[in-house]
Order: sequence, then structure tokens, then C-alpha cells
Amino acid sequence: MSASGKPSWTARLREAGVQAMPPERLLPDTQPAYMSSWIYIFGVLTIAALVIIIFSGSVLGLKGPAWWHYTGVGHFFNSIHLWSVELFFFFMVIHLWGKFFMAAWRGGRSRTWMSGAITFLISIAAAFTGYVSQQNFDAQWIATQAKDGLNSTGIGAFFNVLNFGQMYTYHVLLLPVVVVALVSAHILLVRRTGIVPPLPLGELAIPAPAADAPGASATGSAA
Amino acid sequence: MSLAAIINLNHPASYVHWGFFQMSVSNLVVIGLMIVVFAVAIALPFPGSRRRRSRS
Repeated sequence: MSASGKPSWTARLREAGVQAMPPERLLPDTQPAYMSSWIYIFGVLTIAALVIIIFSGSVLGLKGPAWWHYTGVGHFFNSIHLWSVELFFFFMVIHLWGKFFMAAWRGGRSRTWMSGAITFLISIAAAFTGYVSQQNFDAQWIATQAKDGLNSTGIGAFFNVLNFGQMYTYHVLLLPVVVVALVSAHILLVRRTGIVPPLPLGELAIPAPAADAPGASATGSAA
Repeated sequence: MSLAAIINLNHPASYVHWGFFQMSVSNLVVIGLMIVVFAVAIALPFPGSRRRRSRS
């Protein structure tokens, strides 16, 4: 409470935060029974791969972009980084297929779907800037091939794939920040609206009300 | 023994062509694996799911 008697901005922010995301929804202790399926684990597997990507990428970034070329440990971390990216996209695509065939945008979940779709597109850009930041012939080949395609769209005026510093900045700072922010928003939206229920059998999809989604018939354990 | 010694990787990538469509074999293998994992994830029962269903 401020001196004027009105709630302070911190109190208003807290109230708005709790109202938008009640603690029992942010960290639920049960999940709906229909979540007991392997198809529901690919989202968290994608996040697990992202954690490994960020960790291995941080080590590579701290040691410098040429480190992995001349040390065994550097090569090891580069391989961890590459293969965690492969798994990240592998799991994310299966997650995308699963949610597409579940029509996961039902029941007020369109923002969850869109945040996931945009994360997928931004991740492709993040991976691309990584491939052109390898500082080897592979990177040179990709960059010189890509520049013609990108220049034909006009984007080359401010996104120059032959500029290592620019690509590296995109790869280690700008795009990872966007991906992590979008993934965080995606998780919060999933918590808010609950996990999408399966499509009803033998009838057209009827959007389920978002408020009923989490824990409606709660028997499973929390993810 | 490393995996690279078992599979000879010291050659240009193999590609498949169908008309205008062209893709590396390695990319096709990854897509095939994703389809297999997707199908298995749907078909394979989740541990404990039957017990939970019978209880509810």
C-alpha cells in the first residue's frame, strides 16, 4: 500500500500475476488421466534437449569460436552441441505432429499453438546461424549458397550470412533469447489452459472449456 | 572402435532423386525414424495407464 492509500505498482503486479497464473495451476500436483501416453512426453524431451544445447553452447561460446577446431575437448563439446540440436528438432517435430493431429489449438489454446509454431521457425533460424558460424568449409559453402537466396528476397541488406560477427551474434545471443522467451511463454500458456484433451471418438471436435482442462479427472501425476 | 570406423563416412553424401525432388539419404533416414518413433509413441501403452484407467 502506498502513502496515498492506493495499492503500489508492485502489489498490483503481484495481484495480476496471481490472477493470471494461480500457483495451483502454475505447479499442479495432478494431471488429467489422458496424459498417460508416450505422445505427451515429446514436449518435455524438446526442453531437455534445449537445456543441453544452451549448456554446451555456453561452453563453446566461453572458449571461443575456434576452440573446437584444435582441441579434443572442444570437438567433444561441439559434437554434444550438434547432436542435442538434432534431438531438439527430432523431438520438436514429433511434438508438432502429435499436437497437430490432436488439433491442440482447441479450447482457447490458439496462443499456445502459435507460440510453439513461431518457436519452431525461430529455431530454424537459430540452427542456420549456427551452421554458418562453424568457421570451416561447410560453413563457407552454406553461407555462399544461402546468400543468393536471401539476397533475392532483399533481407541480405541487414542479414548478411557472409558476416561472421553478425551471424555469431544472432546465434549466441539474439535468437537464443527469443527461443527461450517463446519456450517460457509456451510452457506458461500450457500451464494456464491445461494440456489439450484427446479428440472425442466418433464425433467432430468440440472445443473443451479451458477452465475445465487441468485436473478435470485428475488421476495421473504431474509432469 | 568409433562408429565412423564401422560406417565409412569418408565420401560425399548420397542423394535420392525423384523428378524435381532431391534429398540426402541421411535426411530421409531421420524423417523415417521420426515417423517410426511417432507411431510407436501412439501405439505403445504408457506404464501404469491401464491400472489408472481401471481404478477410475
